[in-house]
Amino acid sequence: MDKHPDSALLSKFGRGRLSRRRNREIVRHLLAQCERCRRMASRYLPPAHLRGAEPSSEARRFDYGAAFTQAWRETERRQTAFLAEQAAAPELLSALLAEPFERQWALATTDSRYHTWTVCERLLDAARELGFQDPARALDLSKLGVEIAARIDRAVCGETRVNDLCARAWAGLGNARRIRGDFREGEACFATAERLLKRGTGDPVEKANVLLLKSSLRGNQQRFREAFRLLDRVLAIGRKCGDPQLCGKALIIRGFFLGVADDPEGAIRHLAEGIRDVDPATDARLLVAAQHNLILFLAESGRYEEAMRLLESARPLYYRTGDQMSLLRLRWLEGKIGIALGQFAEAEELLRGVRKELIERELGFDAALLSLDLANIYARQGRGAEMRRLAEEMLPIFKSRDIHREAIAALLVFQKAAEMERVTLGLIREVSSYLKESRATAGTRTRELR
Amino acid sequence: MATLDHPELRESLNILLKNSRPRLERVLRNFEIPPEDAEDILQDAQLTLLYKWDKIRSPESWLIGTVKKKCIMYWRKRRGSLCEAVDTAILDLLAVPQAPDQEKAELTCDLNRVLARLSTRCRSLLKLRYGLGYGPTEVAEQMGYRTSSIRKVTNRCLAALTRQLLAVGFEVREPEGEPQDG
Repeated sequence: MDKHPDSALLSKFGRGRLSRRRNREIVRHLLAQCERCRRMASRYLPPAHLRGAEPSSEARRFDYGAAFTQAWRETERRQTAFLAEQAAAPELLSALLAEPFERQWALATTDSRYHTWTVCERLLDAARELGFQDPARALDLSKLGVEIAARIDRAVCGETRVNDLCARAWAGLGNARRIRGDFREGEACFATAERLLKRGTGDPVEKANVLLLKSSLRGNQQRFREAFRLLDRVLAIGRKCGDPQLCGKALIIRGFFLGVADDPEGAIRHLAEGIRDVDPATDARLLVAAQHNLILFLAESGRYEEAMRLLESARPLYYRTGDQMSLLRLRWLEGKIGIALGQFAEAEELLRGVRKELIERELGFDAALLSLDLANIYARQGRGAEMRRLAEEMLPIFKSRDIHREAIAALLVFQKAAEMERVTLGLIREVSSYLKESRATAGTRTRELR
Repeated sequence: MATLDHPELRESLNILLKNSRPRLERVLRNFEIPPEDAEDILQDAQLTLLYKWDKIRSPESWLIGTVKKKCIMYWRKRRGSLCEAVDTAILDLLAVPQAPDQEKAELTCDLNRVLARLSTRCRSLLKLRYGLGYGPTEVAEQMGYRTSSIRKVTNRCLAALTRQLLAVGFEVREPEGEPQDG
């Protein structure tokens, strides 16, 4: 190229929009050190020291008026359609939720009225709300959410935004699987969610929410270091985005896992700090869970009076949320504190009721853990016959679900000891802590009962 | 954030966009985003805000942060396209089969002059790429990089080359340090 390329051509070159032949000509021209063209083309490089630098004199003259007007015009146009979609969503969702699962599946996969952003988002919210109350239903709704998210019109909502929502749906499904104890499948769901996030808008809040759920999986797998790393990232995002709720959630989850990892003081500190950040008006359920764990760790640290005081002050919140699972856990907690305070008869009655409901909800793992609290009462009172019966009842609960062999083996040890009337409080503590740990995957399976 | 009623959402969004405009303009100007490209950045951020309104707790901070991030991505993408264009063009120029010797010699001389201003590592890497026609795996082997990191290293060197190619009239900084493996 003997002649200088004009500015339009250089602009296209700078944006990588030229044909190969044209590109070749311009690069050859620039290699020959044409100062004029190099100067013109240099404006297509990122400005030096972007952050904190004063804009160049050219940039100071930029007029963004038209850009704002056009962007707003398009947003307003989409807003009208989006608001209509939002108005239609509650009725559609009610109709969907009233159907049996097979019909829900058929509607979610074939009826385009359901393939909207708002229906999907509300369905995912409903699944999340149901998480611990009705894990089986939460799983079904999460599956529907994934199906609907994949069918949302990308041309209308935008490719990257839909990828964000798909990531949210997959993370929700992963979380529902975690709650059911299906860690391996949960893991795969999170891998898909993260892949989708990479093709999303880059929204840090969306990312933080996926990381929060993933940290819960890591914690349940006893991979605490990884869980804490994820939570640190969430905290950093929350602080950067001025989102105290996000920070509060991260602190609460961290507190919970610190407690599980045998650091009750750390747990109490983080939970108390997290509770201060969470807005009770917007996330009462989280607040109940946080208060619940705080009471639990206070009790486990022997601070029973503080635990009882907090329990009494938190009781209205438990009832206000109306979450059956939270109320069930409240009774369990009362039973545990009752044991610690030596109120065995009341504690036993409470725990027996809770155990029955856990079994009905197919929460076998929790039912088995709770059985060990009952065993604690029998051991303290030397009630060998009840202990034997309890041990016999525990194994079928476990076998009814896909619980791995090591956990069953731990229960067999307990059952054997019960038969021989040799169950001690120490053994109960060992089996209980082993069962909690044995929710983990292969990594922790090597640990043996002492 | 609780779900807003429809008129309330419209109103809140309008107020937010109006109030945040001066800050957004400042962000665009600081990042020197050409006005013709600012519309896409603004529109994309605003639409995402609309769709996620219920999930975002501090909409103004979120919007400013998102626009900043999009500005960074804008330049990253622009730099990527430019580097790719330069790289492809140089490979094409060197591959022309029947170019006269004189032309080839001039091209090599011009290219070497630009490469001479790069760090030793980048110069060696690009000489293998352009001079000997090595592919990424061969370059990695030759220079002791892991195959998994050679793409990143090559991209850094291409960015340095592109900066040198377009550098004139002001001091251009060398790429920060030597490329590090891994």
